[in-house]
Amino acid sequence: MTRRPLREGLAVRVLGIETSCDETAVAVVDRETVLANLIASQVDVHERFGGVVPELASRAHVEALTPLFDAALETAGCGFRDLDGVAVTIGPGLVGALLVGMAAAKAIALATGAPLIGVNHLEGHILANAVDHGSELTPSVCLVVSGGHTMLVHMPEPHRYELLGQTVDDAAGEAFDKIARFLGLGFPGGPALDRLARDGDPNAIRFPRAMADSGDFDFSLSGLKTAVLRHVKAERQAGRDVEPADVAASFQEAIVDVQVAKTIDAARDRGVETVLLGGGVVANTRLRERMEKAGAEAGFRVLFPSLDLCTDNGAMIAVAGTWRLLRGERTSLGVGADPSLELG
Amino acid sequence: MIVLGIDTSTEQTSVALGTEREILGTARFAGVNRHDDAVPAIERLLEWTGVELEHVGGVAVGIGPGLYTGLRVGVEAAKALAQVLGVPIVGISSLDVLAFGVQHTSRRIVAVIDARRGEVFYGLYRPVPGGVMRDGEYRVASPHALAAELEIERGEMLLVGNGAILYRKEFEQVDARVELAPATFAHPWASALVSLAAPRFIREQTDRPADLVPMYLRKTDAEITWDQRARGASA
Ligand SMILES: [Zn+2]
Repeated sequence: MTRRPLREGLAVRVLGIETSCDETAVAVVDRETVLANLIASQVDVHERFGGVVPELASRAHVEALTPLFDAALETAGCGFRDLDGVAVTIGPGLVGALLVGMAAAKAIALATGAPLIGVNHLEGHILANAVDHGSELTPSVCLVVSGGHTMLVHMPEPHRYELLGQTVDDAAGEAFDKIARFLGLGFPGGPALDRLARDGDPNAIRFPRAMADSGDFDFSLSGLKTAVLRHVKAERQAGRDVEPADVAASFQEAIVDVQVAKTIDAARDRGVETVLLGGGVVANTRLRERMEKAGAEAGFRVLFPSLDLCTDNGAMIAVAGTWRLLRGERTSLGVGADPSLELG
Repeated sequence: MIVLGIDTSTEQTSVALGTEREILGTARFAGVNRHDDAVPAIERLLEWTGVELEHVGGVAVGIGPGLYTGLRVGVEAAKALAQVLGVPIVGISSLDVLAFGVQHTSRRIVAVIDARRGEVFYGLYRPVPGGVMRDGEYRVASPHALAAELEIERGEMLLVGNGAILYRKEFEQVDARVELAPATFAHPWASALVSLAAPRFIREQTDRPADLVPMYLRKTDAEITWDQRARGASA
């Protein structure tokens, strides 16, 4: 099958498929313009278990993908044959879940003749910024925070990454989920904790700022989590009322404090002007506020994606895939899933 | 009409192209320690046979039961192919495919697929002109429980599948009426799947790609634990 060439000015329609965890997501983009971005959430599937059950996630992906493809193409106003590329997350993530999206992507690539482009999920989170802020994103320092990741990365030019630091224990999203569950806020905990914290005093309780002065760009969150649990238990034992909103706000402030400080330090250290945020935790209101303020004070351009592009989605995979496609990259149909794929 | 068959329910990936009358080509490989080879195998098979994907009129897929992760790769690839090509899809139990592969026997057929965790998926069949007929449901049980069930079955039996081979000691103890099919039949063959599915396309007994899901026969561990806890709480 002959493919029409990718040319300046012509549409470049790329399908993006994301099934690395508990969201089945399909999108169609034309360069950085989102034509369709659909998500079949599995929150209902995992809620009663208080966390993502990998086998259930994989089962749900198989049920969700077919109708999502139809709906995404209809929304985008094109057919499978109009696609110039098929981008799919190949890692990091749950291997069984990744393989479902990859099987679909490979089949679509084979049947349409459009090239397959394997995408790193973390690069997707970073390049999601291109949708709202255009393609000039480098040189920059990126903070990637999600349920599975908390890391600072230096991106001197597109697709080149230098890992500056990361969490030595829990990811930020994991800590949010655990504290939310402890406070009885349900699953997923992040958004619920965010809402509750708005009514609380962030300075009510002084929780530890782990590794704030460690002099590197690593994070640690397990100590903070323990401190919160210990505080609440001690207060209850002493017969004092615990104000959940204050606990939520103070816990959140401790995380945000360290993340803002280290991100700004890293940007200064690497001499960049742009700071990018990416990942589900970037949907957190306080993190966005504080990072914007700190960036403005220190003279950095702070960019983050719109809310629906922070959490896992297909558009970020499609955009990252488009960038790689336009550089001439292609992925073999024999590519494997890599559950612990690193940036680079 | 050319049918593309895909079965990835066991550690073997098997793909075939054929019609109701002949098999145009087939590729199968087992023991490969990765689950993402179904689509590359189809690509190679198309090259080898010179068949254009545009000339495929239907996609048949083995829906298990089997090893979940690998099984889903074949099922999802089949669904997406059918969706893009705009052709009908037929899902057939991989146990049916196994039994169909040894239809030329006078014995009862017991198709047995390894379910891991000390269990097997199985189905009972009898040969009929032109194929096999299943008696009863698809089930999952310990090999020991299946052996006990076979003990009370009448007549001679042919056990086929990787589960039968894995637990051969258990089944050979049943008695002399039980015979094991050779190892070459241990996995569902996509060529058998194509032969089995072709009449269904002609009769237009096809499935909607959106509705097709693997046959799991077993809940996830998380659900089992949850159910046990729920029962404990209500007791
Ligand atoms: Zn993510």
